Amino acid sequence: MKTRTIAFTLNGEPREVVVRPNDLLLNVIRDHELLTGTKYGCGIGECGTCTVQVDGKPVLSCLTLAVAADGCQVVTIEGLAEGGRLDPVQEAFLDHAAVQCGFCTPGMIMTSRSLLDEIPQPTEEEVREYLRGCLCRCTGYASIVRAVLSVAEKGA
Amino acid sequence: MSGEPGMGEKTSSHEHHAVGRVVRRKDGLAKVTGAEQFAHDIDLPRMWYGRVIRSPHAHARILSVDTAEAEAMGAVCLTYADVPKLKYNERIVSTPPFLYRDRQVLADKARHVGEAFAAVAAPTEALAEKAVRALKVKYEPLQTITSVEDAMRPGADPIHDTVRLEDAEIPIENNVAVRRNVEVGDIEAGFAESEFIIEREYSTQPIYHAQMETKAVTCRPEPDGGITVWPCTQSIHNTRQLLGEIYEIPLHKINVKKIAMGGSFGSSIQMNSVIPICVGLALKSRHPVKLVTTREEDIHDHVRYPTNIRLKLGLKKDGTPVAGHMHAVVEIGAHNIQAFPFLGGLAGFWASLYRLPHMKYEGIAIYTNKTPTCAMQGFGAPQVTFAVESLMDEIAHELGVDPVEYKLRHYIGLGGTFWGQGPAVKSIIRSDGVSELLRIGAERIGWKDRHAPGSQTGRYRRGIGMARGFHTSGVGHPKATGAEMIDYSGAIVKINEDGSVDVAQSLADHGGGTLEAIAKIVAEELGVPIDMVGMSPVDTRTSIYDVTTHATRGVYAGGAAAHKAARTAKGILLDYAGRVLDVLPDSLVVEPEPQLGQGVIYCPNLPERRITVGELAKLCQLNSWGTISAVESVRQVNCPPAYVIYYVEVEVDTDTGNVKTCRAALGSDCGTVVNPDLAAGQLIGGLSKGSGYALIEEARWDPETGELLNRGFWVDGKTPAMGEMPPLEDIHTFFSDTYEPSGPFGAKGLGEASSNPCAGAYANALYNALGVRFYQLPVTPEKVLAALAREDAA
Ligand code: FES
Ligand code: FES
Repeated sequence: MKTRTIAFTLNGEPREVVVRPNDLLLNVIRDHELLTGTKYGCGIGECGTCTVQVDGKPVLSCLTLAVAADGCQVVTIEGLAEGGRLDPVQEAFLDHAAVQCGFCTPGMIMTSRSLLDEIPQPTEEEVREYLRGCLCRCTGYASIVRAVLSVAEKGA
Repeated sequence: MSGEPGMGEKTSSHEHHAVGRVVRRKDGLAKVTGAEQFAHDIDLPRMWYGRVIRSPHAHARILSVDTAEAEAMGAVCLTYADVPKLKYNERIVSTPPFLYRDRQVLADKARHVGEAFAAVAAPTEALAEKAVRALKVKYEPLQTITSVEDAMRPGADPIHDTVRLEDAEIPIENNVAVRRNVEVGDIEAGFAESEFIIEREYSTQPIYHAQMETKAVTCRPEPDGGITVWPCTQSIHNTRQLLGEIYEIPLHKINVKKIAMGGSFGSSIQMNSVIPICVGLALKSRHPVKLVTTREEDIHDHVRYPTNIRLKLGLKKDGTPVAGHMHAVVEIGAHNIQAFPFLGGLAGFWASLYRLPHMKYEGIAIYTNKTPTCAMQGFGAPQVTFAVESLMDEIAHELGVDPVEYKLRHYIGLGGTFWGQGPAVKSIIRSDGVSELLRIGAERIGWKDRHAPGSQTGRYRRGIGMARGFHTSGVGHPKATGAEMIDYSGAIVKINEDGSVDVAQSLADHGGGTLEAIAKIVAEELGVPIDMVGMSPVDTRTSIYDVTTHATRGVYAGGAAAHKAARTAKGILLDYAGRVLDVLPDSLVVEPEPQLGQGVIYCPNLPERRITVGELAKLCQLNSWGTISAVESVRQVNCPPAYVIYYVEVEVDTDTGNVKTCRAALGSDCGTVVNPDLAAGQLIGGLSKGSGYALIEEARWDPETGELLNRGFWVDGKTPAMGEMPPLEDIHTFFSDTYEPSGPFGAKGLGEASSNPCAGAYANALYNALGVRFYQLPVTPEKVLAALAREDAA
């Protein structure tokens, strides 16, 4: 299969990667770049654990071809804390016990970050609507909704 | 503490500096930054990738697997011919006389669609996938058996001819895996004494665990013939022992690493099917091999026990239960992972719900060609609690009494006998918050103001239902020998030279905060700040045995081991401190000193005699007195019930049949609440999973082909998401003010209890809304509409 070199920034650092046309962004992030915070949960767009930001928008990396990230800015959970300082969403997840097993957490946090970037002061209904594609089998979601709302309350 | 979701509430709190405090969980930072390593994330030098081939047939003999083409690609292949033929049971929690063994690493027969029977390993995942597709297989399809009736029909193809029990091969007749009967009192006399009899049938469905992490494992062969394994598991030690037995490797050469679990809910009590396959690939290829299952593969690997319960109850006129007869039919699918203890669990949980002087229980487990069943959060309690709580609600309505009052009159509480898991595990109840919880819940939900059943007529009808339940806290009991199940934990506690503490425990954390609780228990006992206690990464070579984190035993049983080790270490600490301070050790106390950020040992009568824990530990080192440390194994001799009560309010759309959860009041009696925020999270997680069980989830198979019909989370199956939960202000969580005398700092379990009564509460709420009883889970919109149509016709 023909390969192609793509260039993108990953968590702020420039990257050049040789990929095949059918390589998924998820696999490039996890297997090439060894950033394993982004999770595989279903591979078919049904769980949200693989969510990353591409040019600021939340994207399911299991449904995104790596070539589509050519020239883009990709941010994963590892890139969210800037200069070692946690993002307010990460802080809120810790403070509101929104983490149990933690497997859904990276996808939840990345999606929540995008939500707050788009709607800085969401209502509870908006939070539930925005995050409805992210599954969590442990928490029952309440602590996650509360964490996200608390970030908005603090205006972060 | 407030009653907000996520915070929990307790009516009073005991003075503790660590236990019961809300702090950020220790593993949280790794989890919110993506640094936590799960089984999917292991990456080793020279690592290869494994893939398995799974049967497209529900029942077929594997006549041959031609590996030539795959091998020509550079793959290493593993078939039935390459692996040990030993029959094992993947869940070695039961002791050998009760352990039915029907598994092999790879079999020469497929017993359900999706059963693995050969595997490959290759340097890249893409090549492994290509190689597995190049395997040429000859199958001889056998009769596909997809129902209990067909399985037991004379002349049905045997799914297993024989299974191993201890050293004997025992025959399997009519595909009956195992039966279990329990009798208490005199059932005939009991029914003769009864003044009225009620009989109902309840069925509960199989559901997929839907843990967010699919099963995965990495195995590295070691130069000495040993192996190192990174699996998804609730028990590193049982995984090690099984691998040692299967591959005949001495245990000291097998190192199984404990890593974070991305959920499990019971699906990794047993050694998952891919673990020994991966080991076989690694041993053959002499490469580390990583095997990650796809979601679709995982869905084909484990489901909850579906259970059909026929329950006949004899009562006095005033509603006092006198006699009960229960038939439980459990379709276990292709393998007997733990049917015998499951049948016992059903009996035991039934016997522990309401006082019943005479009971007869008959349980039967049947093989079919479907996905193997195993424990899932509650191990029989959700099934039996749905039946009993529905029936008790129905009887209360017949009698015209408040179901809450009726249940309070007859439930088994303080001083009663609790069957922790089947007839072999019993102890006396010493803590009981049920009435307190039921009272608080009734207020929160507005129980007194609910509608009369079936009194509404509009399109949207609301109903409130209540159910009560529990789970056991571990499977401890007082008998010294002949146990049916293993139940003990171990812990190592070590005080470091700066006053910090390492705790090494092989206990697994499902995510609910078990290890967080352990750290608090140790901090509390030692008198050091919680920040100074670390939970060590452990493996089987450096930790001592813990049976498995199941049966809601983590805090109660695992916590007891850590508590004991901390107490022993504290004794040593105080002995040395007495020597240094020239006072008797008994006159010393240890307390955290916030300014110093560590524990301080001092004599209250001679306050100037003081030394920090760190100074003392350092002194012990410099004087070569030794490390202050302790190793302890603890078996609990009780199995206290972790009670949970549920009130839920639903709204039924009578046009669509849709059921919405409007409000919930969830109360737990977990004794002392060690992690208030995480405990509340457990309850709310229980509501989410429990509502899925009650209303939407069901694994289904094509009756002709045995093919699994739902293979996902949304499209052809459904897992509760954020939208299914009530708004934050309508979820109430609260805890009773109880203290379990046999638990660490008064704590008992919570985890599995959190969803056990849920389906019963929904069924009762639906009755309240519609005046119709539902006896079959899940109560889907189709079932609601059909029931309403029947009502209309009647
Ligand atoms: S892995 Fe991408 S949505 Fe599930
Ligand atoms: S915390 Fe386990 S899946 Fe969300």
